[in-house]
Amino acid sequence: MLSALQNPRQAAAQLLNFGLILSTAFMMWKGLSVISDSPSPIVVVLSGSMEPAFQRGDLLFLWNRNLLEETKVGEIVVYNVKGKDIPIVHRLVRKFGLGEEAKLLTKGDNNLADDTELYARGQDYIERKDIIGSVVAYIPFVGYVTILLSEHPWLKTVMLGLMGLVVVVQRE
Amino acid sequence: MHSTIVRGQNVFGFFTTVCFVVAALIAASDLLAPRTPKATVAVKDLQVVRGRPHYYSTKKEEYAIIRFSLSADLSSLFSWNTKQVFVYVSASWPNSTLGDAGKGEMVNEAVIWDTIITNPSADHLQNLGPAAMKKLVRSAKGKKIDPSRSVYPSYLQHPSAELDFLLTSKVSDHVPDRKLAETDNMVLKLHYNVQPWVGVLTWTPQIEFGSWKKVKGGISKAFKLPAIKAKKAAEKKSA
Repeated sequence: MLSALQNPRQAAAQLLNFGLILSTAFMMWKGLSVISDSPSPIVVVLSGSMEPAFQRGDLLFLWNRNLLEETKVGEIVVYNVKGKDIPIVHRLVRKFGLGEEAKLLTKGDNNLADDTELYARGQDYIERKDIIGSVVAYIPFVGYVTILLSEHPWLKTVMLGLMGLVVVVQRE
Repeated sequence: MHSTIVRGQNVFGFFTTVCFVVAALIAASDLLAPRTPKATVAVKDLQVVRGRPHYYSTKKEEYAIIRFSLSADLSSLFSWNTKQVFVYVSASWPNSTLGDAGKGEMVNEAVIWDTIITNPSADHLQNLGPAAMKKLVRSAKGKKIDPSRSVYPSYLQHPSAELDFLLTSKVSDHVPDRKLAETDNMVLKLHYNVQPWVGVLTWTPQIEFGSWKKVKGGISKAFKLPAIKAKKAAEKKSA
């Protein structure tokens, strides 16, 4: 930090570098979002309702385009329920009809009953537009950091502090 | 350049790169393992009854009770990167109300039976006490798939054991017009979904892809659901 104060040009370069890293990450996320046509192409599993397939903290890659065929029964989809902001990862078990108006029913592999209870009041099926993507790929455990951060907010402070410390101590 | 932090950063960066490369190689190795599943699905008995979804419901709806037999050999789906296989049987039928537009296409599809076969390598994830875990691990020792893994699949794992398994399933509410009686051209199909330890999830292939073959068999003959059973029988069933 002290050296940075003495050399404003270097401080500016460091700041730009930091901004570049941030914007690269953001553009990669948005680019993936455009390619997969999903508002959130990578999700972290938050509950154990799909165990043993998915544990908490596993990372899922979503795909939301129907290039060759429609979303089928048996696919694992991530969907949003009206009035609830947490997306749910469950398997599609019933489909009646075709295309946009098809009535879809989901169920968690580890749950006994289907999801009718999870849907909004008076809603007993979901539609294609409620789905934000089908799971296509899987990496275990990597997303657990985000669960830790959201469940223990003090960790955020610790991380920020550590980063600040690194910036202060670092010479170049 | 040579401060502790920079060295730490380099080591961590190298570590994550190696992790991802190894994971990608493991995921790619899936393609090398041949998949040659086979199965037979046959309908044994059909019934349609009327009933109510729950005690307070005023609407009556129709339930199809489908008894079918299933024998399958899915052992080739298990490789070192298989965490579990989700096996399911679906009933699909065309829509009669759509007229010509819906003809030929299987518009409606419902999973009527499913099971999960876990790989012994996923045992540590099971929510079990130490004693039960020890027993489970011992039972699976040296085997690629443990026959006692779940309630049903022993017959799924031994190609030689041609055990017919009968089971009753209901395709029920959520059918838009709540009617199922005399539905024609219904067909039962076996599907699977391979869940890897890392990499791409795969479902029953529509086309042959390298050493991954289609399911041999696995589709029942088309059948027609019967008319509704007499009232007495229906009440007994829904009770």
